[in-house]
Amino acid sequence: MIKMKNLVGGYKNTPIIKGLDLEIEQGEFFALLGPNGSGKTTLFKLITGQLPIQEGEILLSGKEIASYSKFEKARKVSVLTQEIQISFDYTVEEIISLGRYPHQKGVLKQLSKADQKIIVDVMEKTKISHYRHTPFRMISGGEKQRVLLAKALAQEPEILLLDEPTNHLDIKYTFQILDLLKEQQQETGLTVLAILHDLNVASLYANRIGLLEKGKLLEVGRVDVLRKEEQLKKVYDVEVKTQSHPSVPKPQLLMTPGHMITEHPIDFYNSYKIVKNSTYIHVQFDQALRTVSNGVIGEGIQWLNHFCNFHVDKHYNCSNPKKDLQDWMNMYNIPHEQAVGMMTAVNLDDMVMETREIEGIPMMIIITAGVGNAIDITNEYVANPSIQIGTINTMLFMDAHFTDGALVNGYMSATEAKVKALQDLQVKDPESNTIATGTSTDALLLGLTQQGERTPYAGSGTVVGKGIGQMVYHATKKAVKKYLKRVQR
Amino acid sequence: MLSSFTRKYLANKVVWLYIFAGGLVLGTTLLGLLESSVTIPIPTILHIVSEKIFGIAWLSDVPKNVEMIIWNIRLPRVLLALCVGASLALAGAAFQGLLRNPLADPYTIGVSSGAALGAVFVIFFQLTIIGLGSYTLPVVAIVSGLITLFAVFGLVRLSSRSLAIETIILAGIIISAFIGALTSLIISLGDQDSMTQIIYWLYGSVAMRGWSHVQLIIPFMIVGSFILFIHYRELNALALGEEAADHIGVNVKRGKLFILIGASLLTGAAVAVSGTIGFVGLVIPHLVRLVTGPNHKHVLPLSMLVGGAFLILADLLSRTIVAPSELPIGVITGLIGAPIFAILLVKERISGRG
Repeated sequence: MIKMKNLVGGYKNTPIIKGLDLEIEQGEFFALLGPNGSGKTTLFKLITGQLPIQEGEILLSGKEIASYSKFEKARKVSVLTQEIQISFDYTVEEIISLGRYPHQKGVLKQLSKADQKIIVDVMEKTKISHYRHTPFRMISGGEKQRVLLAKALAQEPEILLLDEPTNHLDIKYTFQILDLLKEQQQETGLTVLAILHDLNVASLYANRIGLLEKGKLLEVGRVDVLRKEEQLKKVYDVEVKTQSHPSVPKPQLLMTPGHMITEHPIDFYNSYKIVKNSTYIHVQFDQALRTVSNGVIGEGIQWLNHFCNFHVDKHYNCSNPKKDLQDWMNMYNIPHEQAVGMMTAVNLDDMVMETREIEGIPMMIIITAGVGNAIDITNEYVANPSIQIGTINTMLFMDAHFTDGALVNGYMSATEAKVKALQDLQVKDPESNTIATGTSTDALLLGLTQQGERTPYAGSGTVVGKGIGQMVYHATKKAVKKYLKRVQR
Repeated sequence: MLSSFTRKYLANKVVWLYIFAGGLVLGTTLLGLLESSVTIPIPTILHIVSEKIFGIAWLSDVPKNVEMIIWNIRLPRVLLALCVGASLALAGAAFQGLLRNPLADPYTIGVSSGAALGAVFVIFFQLTIIGLGSYTLPVVAIVSGLITLFAVFGLVRLSSRSLAIETIILAGIIISAFIGALTSLIISLGDQDSMTQIIYWLYGSVAMRGWSHVQLIIPFMIVGSFILFIHYRELNALALGEEAADHIGVNVKRGKLFILIGASLLTGAAVAVSGTIGFVGLVIPHLVRLVTGPNHKHVLPLSMLVGGAFLILADLLSRTIVAPSELPIGVITGLIGAPIFAILLVKERISGRG
C-alpha cells in the first residue's frame, strides 16, 4: 500500500528523516511510535507532501506519491490530526460534506445524491447523526474528533493517516475513536497509519508497530516489540516494565518515576497494628506491602495495606463470598480495594501469631488452622467442593525485597512447609485415610516491605526460603495442634 | 423522510432569502431614484428607465429636465452605490473566509487605503497609462491595493508565523498610517482647491460620478465576483485551516492567490470610483451569515445583493439627513460599522479564537 525506500527528508539542510525503509500492507493498522523529535510528524508531512522528499521515494499503490494530483491523492489518503480550530459556525454536516471535496465533479461542483448518501452513512457509522445541524463549535472535544473522523471517512480513502488523534481526549473518547477506526479497518479493509503517543493504546489497537528514533526506524514488528524493556528504556529514557494485559494477550507498559519517593525506612515491628476479636483479624500496615495471595479478595500480585481474616459460621452460605467480604469490610471501615480478605470457620481464639528474625530478616506470621476438611491432593476422588469447617489461612509478613519471581518462589516454599507440618502431625484425609497435603480451601499470603536488597529467589535453596519454611512449619503445627485440642474437647 | 423534508425546507428557506435580497435591491433602487430634493412620481421614473433601456414608453410630455435628473444623475448614482456596495461586501466576505475571521474587511486590513493611494496618485497627477485610457484609475488602484495587501501579509509573516487576525489588523493599521502619510504628502503638494476636493473624495462618496464611473467598475466587478464565486468550496474548506484543507485535496496556494486577486479586483475598483468607504465588507457578510449560516455558496451572492442595497440606503441617508447639503457616504458607513466592529472584536475575544 505505502512503501518507503531509503527515505530522507525534512527541513532544508537538516533532514529529520534519515534513511527509512518501511512497507505498510493493505488493511493493516500500523502504529508509529517514538519520542518527541524522533521524526514521526516529519514522516507524516513527507507523506502528505507538506515537506519535500530529499532522497529516496514514497510509493503509494506502487506509484510515486508526488505523481498524484491533489485530487487523486485526497481520494486515496485522508488525514485526521489533533483537534483543529474551525472558523465560523459551520454545522456538523457541512464540515463532513467537505470530505466529498475531492470527489465532486462537473462545472457546478454540487453535492450529488451519491455524495449525500455517503455523508449520511459516515454520520451513522460514527454515531453523530443527531448532531448534523448543530454548529461544530458547540460540541465537545471528543465529539468534534468523531466529526472530523467522519469527514475523513467521507473522503472514502484507502489509507487513513492519524497524527495523535486522541491526544487531548479522555479515555472514553479515545477508546471510542479507536474502536471506530478498528471497526473500519476490519470491515472495509481500510489501511491505518497512526502516530500514537500512548504505547499501551498502540499495543491494544495496532497490528504492527514501528519504533522511530532520531529519524530512523529502530524496530518494526508485532506489538510484542514493546516487550523489549531495555530498548524502550534507551529510546524514551524512562524506566519501563512490560506486563501483560490481564485479559488481552498484549503487552502493557508500566513506567517508574525517575525520583522514587524515598520514604523513611520502615521499622518493621512498629509498622503494623492488629485488631483481633471473635469476628475478624485485621492487620494494618502503615505502608503498602508487595503482596502475593489467593485471598477471596485482593488476589494475585498487588500492593496492599490491609490483611483480614473473617470468621464465618460453619453453615455459611458461600454463594457470593466476595460481596460478603466487601460488605463486612465496609461495616468495619476497612477499604476493601486495598485489602486481602480471607474467611475461616475456625475459632479465631486459636489464632497463632509469631514474630522472629531469621538471618536478619524480621518476619511475622499469623495462622488460623482447621483440618476437618483435610485432603490428600494426590488422591483420585473428587473432593466435595463446599466450604466445611477447617481451612488453613496463613499470612506471612517479611521485611525483605522480592522480585515477582521470588514472590512465587516464596509461595512454593510456604506451601512445602505447610505440607510437611501436616505430615509430621499425621493429619489424614478422612476419605482415603492417607496423609493430607492441605485442606480444600487453604489461603496464603506473603506480604513484603520491599526494603533492602532485591532478592530474585526464595526457594528452599536460599536463606530466605528456609526462613519462610521454618516460620510456616512451626506456626502451622502450633495452630493445628490448638485446633485438634479444641475438637477433642 | 424527515431528512428529505428538512432538506426541502432548507432549500426553500434559501430560495426565499434570495427573493428577499433581490427585492431589497429593487426596492432600494426605486427608493434611491424616488427620494431627493425633487420628488418625482414612481410611474414617471419607471417610464424613463424603461424607455431608455427597452425603448418602451407610455407617458407623453415628460419634461426633459426630469429625464435628465433620473437618467443622468440619480440612476448612475444609485447603480454606482449598488456596484460599490456589492463589491465591498463580497470582497469582505472573501477576506473573512480566507483569513478565517469575521473581523477582516478591505478597510480593516489596509487594502482600501492602498488602493486609495493609487487612485489619488492617478487623479492628482492626471496620469493615463497608454492603452488603458480611463481604466488607468481602477487598474492602478487595484494594483496598489494588491501591493498593499502583500505588504501587510509580509509584515505579518515577519512578526509572527500564524496569520492571527489581530496581527493582520495591526499590520493593516501600520501600513495604512504610512500610506496615509504618503497620501497627505501628495495632497499637500497641490493647491487649496484640489486639496479639499481630494480629502472629500477620500471620505468616500458616490455623488456626481455619472455613467462613466459605472462603466469603470462593472468589468472588474464581474471578473472579481466570478473568480470568487467559483472558489466558494475552497473558501468553505479553508475554514478547517490551510493544512486540513490541503488534506482534503484543496490546492491551497492557488486557491488563496485567486481569492486574494478576486477580492483585490473588487476592492480596488470600488475604491477607484468612490473613495474609501469603510466597514461595508465587515458588516454585511456578518449579517448574512447570521441568517444563512457560514456556507460561502450562499454567503457570497447574498452578501453582494445585501451589500448593494445597504450602500444605496446609506447613500440615500447621506444626501437626505442634512439636506440640502450632503454627508460623505463613508461617514455613514463608519458610524454604523465601527461600533459593530467593536462588538465583533469583543465577541471574538470572549468566545476564544475561531
